[in-house]
Amino acid sequence: MSRKKAVKGKGSSKSPKASPISGRSGRGLAAAAAPSSALVYPSRPSISNSGEFYDIAFKVMLVGDSGVGKTCLLVRFKDGAFLAGSFISTVGIDFRNKVMNIDAVKVKLQIWDTAGQERFRSVTHAYYRDANALLLLYDVTNKASFDNIRAWLTEIHEYAQQDVVIMLLGNKVDSSHDRMVKREEGEKLAKEFGVPFMETSARSGLNVELAFTAVAKELKHRTMKEPEEPKFQLQQYVDKEMRTVGCCRT
Amino acid sequence: MEKKSKPAQRTRSPDGSARDRVDSVDPYGFQRSKDFDYESYEELMSEYLVVLTRRTIKWSKLLKGKRRVQKNVKLKRYVRKGIPNEHRALIWMAASGGQDQLEKNPGYYQSLLGAQHDPKLVETICTDLNRTFPDNVAFRKTANPCMQKALYNVLLAYGNHNPNVGYCQGMNFVAGYLLIITKDEEKSFWLMDALLGRILPDYYSPAMMGLKTDQEVLGELVKVKIPGVWQTMMDHNVMWSLVVSRWFICLYIDVLPVETVLRIWDCLFYEGSKILFRVALTLIQHQQVLLQQAQSLPDVCQNFKQITQGPFVEECHTFMQKIFTEPGSLSIATLSKLRATCRSRISAEEH
Repeated sequence: MSRKKAVKGKGSSKSPKASPISGRSGRGLAAAAAPSSALVYPSRPSISNSGEFYDIAFKVMLVGDSGVGKTCLLVRFKDGAFLAGSFISTVGIDFRNKVMNIDAVKVKLQIWDTAGQERFRSVTHAYYRDANALLLLYDVTNKASFDNIRAWLTEIHEYAQQDVVIMLLGNKVDSSHDRMVKREEGEKLAKEFGVPFMETSARSGLNVELAFTAVAKELKHRTMKEPEEPKFQLQQYVDKEMRTVGCCRT
Repeated sequence: MEKKSKPAQRTRSPDGSARDRVDSVDPYGFQRSKDFDYESYEELMSEYLVVLTRRTIKWSKLLKGKRRVQKNVKLKRYVRKGIPNEHRALIWMAASGGQDQLEKNPGYYQSLLGAQHDPKLVETICTDLNRTFPDNVAFRKTANPCMQKALYNVLLAYGNHNPNVGYCQGMNFVAGYLLIITKDEEKSFWLMDALLGRILPDYYSPAMMGLKTDQEVLGELVKVKIPGVWQTMMDHNVMWSLVVSRWFICLYIDVLPVETVLRIWDCLFYEGSKILFRVALTLIQHQQVLLQQAQSLPDVCQNFKQITQGPFVEECHTFMQKIFTEPGSLSIATLSKLRATCRSRISAEEH
């Protein structure tokens, strides 16, 4: 009688007794960069919903126009899968967790997926406030989704924290013949707003892991940086690690 | 059917497994998932079929081939016990006033399709066509006839009919269900009009005021009726929109099992939007202990997903009886008052 959602979670995981102690901030935290609601730094490792241990947790939000591939990017990152024609439009807001190993630190990303349609923004922008990072997506085959990036950035600056990590992603670069937005245009816009940029493909997996890793690294460095350690250079890291459309193995 | 309800009591029939007897596509065209529990389903259906048969006989007597029905206490009682699928379109159309509108406006639906279309509207609708029920065989691009075309027409016609709303995500799923049940574009259109124009508050308009209001109204009702859960929401600073916006926007589609959703809609068309609150309150109340165990915001979200699964919601006949008893009284007057209060509170916050 029941019908499974097209994109399923991994069954019904019971919430563990040892849940993260929310609101407890640990040593070396810059208060402004670490709102207690989003950052967890317990004295001993915590267990996330999936039962995995982690040391620190951050909240990342996926935003961008409807149909640019936010859910696909998330599913590709979380499950390593892309099932063409199995995605349903996201209504409202949802999240998934993933624990990453960043320089021997277990970083839990709590990734929030949002509905892209403009009218839902008045419902979802309330959540920007607690986000540590925002991945802003456009679709390289859809010019309008690129043109709307400015409006998205305005919205983000209005509702998000001052120091939120923002990364601009041009998604769907696997469909090179349908491309409407040149890579250089994305770069230029990103430079104008001073945010890191890369092109991704949820379908082929190109740069998907990297996008989340880069954000996780940046957030981890901000939180745990030793005084003598140099500042993490997000764009430099991305430029070094990034694969471009031409040279990737798809 | 994610959880196996009563494995100990299950008796395996000697002639093959339930997997061989039950179709892998459900009666509405939805492909059953890989881990679908055929055994529990068969067990559940063997009980529900008895109910369905009894109801079908009663309905046939009531309707006696009539094409018109009058709303009255008896019909309301019948609706609450479930409309047989073959009569759903007829009763939904009659109870919602959709039939009256259709008859008063001959040719109107076609004229909407023939009108000049706003390219922005067309584009927004098209973005979601492939993303509406990809797991339903009738909605696949390759299906013949393909429901995507009908879906496009109904959504486009509605957008032209009500330019203030245009198209809002979630309407694709609602229109999709209407098409599955009525198998008729024009009827689906008038049922959309009944839902959006008369039955529901303004859930889908650009400001989504009705949605925001009803989320808060639910919060107020929970505060009074299930205070422990309300306290949990406060403790972890969870906004109601996070956990229930899909319940309202999608009218429980893809939240609850198909059969349960249709039973809810039977009452929704007949009795109005307060049914949505009865369902929400029943879900929350039934699993209030689980909800109160949440230790963090993600826990709360996870638990809110969990309460929409399992035998309690799959046994739709019992579930529908529960929605009228478990949450206690819920008068239209109470609801209207709460809606007015919440609406002005939200307006004040937004301005």
